[in-house]
Amino acid sequence: MGTLIIVLTYIAYVFIVVVYTVKVLAWLRMPPHIRWDLYPVIHEEHYRYGGSYYEQQEWWKKPRPKNTWRSLLYSLKDNFTMGEYYERNRLYWLFLFPWHIGFIFIITFHILCFFAAVAMYGGLDIGAVSAHLAGRVFYYVLLCTGGIAFIAGTFGSLGMPIIRLADRGLRTYAMPMNFFNYLFFFTVYGSGLLSWLVLDPNLDEYRTYWLGLITLTAPALHTMTLIHIILFDIFLIYLPFTRSTHYITRILAYYFIRWDDEPNLPGSDLERQIAGLLGRKVSWEGNHIPTGKSWAEAATERGFPEGKKEKP
Amino acid sequence: MKKEMKIDEFCRPGEQLAEIDPAEIIPLPPPYDRIEKAPIRKLAEEQRKRMDASLDGVVAIGLTPPASPEEEKAFIEKFLAGLEKLFSADDNWTFLQPLTHTLEYCVKCQICSDACPTYLASGRQDIYRPTMRPEILRRIIHTYVKKDHLLLRKFQGSDIDLNWQTLARLAELAYRCTLCRRCAQVCLLGCDNALVSREIRKVFSQQMGIAPKELHEKGSVQQLRVGSSTGMTPAALKNIMEFVEEEIEEKTGRKIKIPVDKKGADMLLIHNAGEFMAWPENLEAFAILLDAAGVDWTLSTEIAGYDSVNYGVWYDDIQFARVAIRQSMAAKSLGVRKISLGECGHAHKAGIVVADRVLTGDLNIPRESILPLLEEIVLRGRIKLDPSRNNFPVTLHDPCNMVRLMGIVAPQRRILKQICPQFREMEPHGVENYCCGGGSGFAITQSTNFPDWRSAVSGRMKMKQILTAFEDVPGPEVKKYLCAPCSNCKGQFRDMFEYYGVWEKSGILYGGLVELIVNAMTNLKKPFIQWEWH
Repeated sequence: MGTLIIVLTYIAYVFIVVVYTVKVLAWLRMPPHIRWDLYPVIHEEHYRYGGSYYEQQEWWKKPRPKNTWRSLLYSLKDNFTMGEYYERNRLYWLFLFPWHIGFIFIITFHILCFFAAVAMYGGLDIGAVSAHLAGRVFYYVLLCTGGIAFIAGTFGSLGMPIIRLADRGLRTYAMPMNFFNYLFFFTVYGSGLLSWLVLDPNLDEYRTYWLGLITLTAPALHTMTLIHIILFDIFLIYLPFTRSTHYITRILAYYFIRWDDEPNLPGSDLERQIAGLLGRKVSWEGNHIPTGKSWAEAATERGFPEGKKEKP
Repeated sequence: MKKEMKIDEFCRPGEQLAEIDPAEIIPLPPPYDRIEKAPIRKLAEEQRKRMDASLDGVVAIGLTPPASPEEEKAFIEKFLAGLEKLFSADDNWTFLQPLTHTLEYCVKCQICSDACPTYLASGRQDIYRPTMRPEILRRIIHTYVKKDHLLLRKFQGSDIDLNWQTLARLAELAYRCTLCRRCAQVCLLGCDNALVSREIRKVFSQQMGIAPKELHEKGSVQQLRVGSSTGMTPAALKNIMEFVEEEIEEKTGRKIKIPVDKKGADMLLIHNAGEFMAWPENLEAFAILLDAAGVDWTLSTEIAGYDSVNYGVWYDDIQFARVAIRQSMAAKSLGVRKISLGECGHAHKAGIVVADRVLTGDLNIPRESILPLLEEIVLRGRIKLDPSRNNFPVTLHDPCNMVRLMGIVAPQRRILKQICPQFREMEPHGVENYCCGGGSGFAITQSTNFPDWRSAVSGRMKMKQILTAFEDVPGPEVKKYLCAPCSNCKGQFRDMFEYYGVWEKSGILYGGLVELIVNAMTNLKKPFIQWEWH
């Protein structure tokens, strides 16, 4: 069983990283689009009230300062706080927030476990009474992240189906997959919670498990912990089939769509890209469109506005 | 309490899905709180037979039902072929990325519903939720384009039965969203359900040739053919300019020659041609102000060069590109250094921002808003102004396209604070404003009972905001000014104010920004704003 756990875990991590990467690259490889920015644009100087560089005369002659760090912090902060939900639907936020915190913390917990195992392999003793400060810090940080993940995730997984059924709008758009996810995620977090509370209050077994992973040695684990780890591995494999990539793509959408205020200045790379896109053929069949011609031709050709049938 | 609507009902042939109930739409302050009539006229029996109104009893497009099953099948197949093009990098590079992102990552959390003024004002009708259109589209894609297995579709809730009426309702529903994009602004996932409305319109227009005639035949097509969506020819424009010059002389005693087709001028000013027909005082005010400030400017009489509208931005990429290019060509032929857009919100967004990735090479002429120049004229004292001439209550409407969609927020406020002692904001304002209700072409759409709908539903939240902004002076005895620096918004206010009897009940006049500036000019003998022309 220990060997199976190691193999399954590696497969799960490789799978999620590969599929997430493919999805993100596919997102990024879509062609540049027409500008569709929406204000406030957080990197703008006057972002507090939503102002843009268009508030200046002859804006193309003026500097356009961009505060990229501010916009990055803004988008990351929202991944954690979900402030818009807190403001607009607090009851929903009450369950959605722990549901997401559970997700973020359980991933963080496992990443930290990896580093803890590396440290243990290097000789560090990790525990509440470790001789090393780093060992004690690791111990408490792992205890906190794991504990928060299990408690928040279990609470969120229980609350989400309730709010989805109770709220009229959410209920209208509910689908069987939502409830499957809640149930499945509840078993993942719940098994971890149970294992922690009943068998492994110091979360020692996860460090043993990760040490086994990096040394390729089958770890000896309690059945309850094993069940949780198998469920967690399946959870990792399942995630790419859900909308969970939104943790990444939402930030891309902010940067490449909502906050994309890059002007097309003469002679720029952007202008060259657009010139290429205008050379692509259109196959739309409306009467006013010359099907089969390029965008540039369709946009400049005379006679078509009145329809193909009326064309001499 | 309204009946809860299930998504599947959208595809059920026959009955009307929703009815606007006067008891459920959001209440307005007195004296607008009395329900005296049905908010929306019922269609005649003959109209209902001729046009599909099974969405909400309102008609913007009014598709005619197919005569045979074969016709229905052909209609559906053509739509599905268009839908595939929506996800082609060749056919839809223009919006592929934002559209794909929204359809794949929206979690239907309904945060956007509470930001949508149409949904809220309607008394929370399920069909107007910003998520409804994308959900129907998503289901059609999974079932008929991607052809997912039935079990997967059931699991993901993406199964749908497609018939002609589903598409007729979807086409109408795409014209119940003003594209104000308040929904997108609150989305934590960066999704834009308003864009989906636009993309549905695009499939109907670019693939099937279906669009409201005010946008297409009488809109962009007419603009490209005769020069303006109003039907005004260059010859008619010259006549109107003569009339405007006479009006200016009559009002101010000044003889001003409006520069037309002035080669090598510094700036080509393009107005929404609706101003020429409906609000010539806006043109007069611009002419007076720019003359007084010594600005080197001109108008154009080239095709599309004297009409800044670009209705394509609301429904059709090809028509959009054609108009944008013709406008730029007009500027190029005059040899001006830059194009400046007058008081029109969508023309700002279309001409300055959206056209930015259509115009290349020598057509990529610098384009800007007129508002920063107005701000400079007022705040730097280039003309003498007396704010006491504007000593009446004034509030400001933020056109979505100019404010939320391109970030021009402060210049108009700085001007009003300088010249209007009784200026007050609406709440919310700036980038969080509510749409006038006439956005995305609604203000010009006059089909059957659609104008009732946009006054009673899509514009109702704005109506409430305006009345609340003037709640300290509610009666008609105190004359008040709603500053709306956008022709489209003014068109909506004209119709909506008439619908509610706003002048008689509240004494509110709507108008542009530049009229207020000219009204404050110290060297005009009499006030420029003529209240009697409400």
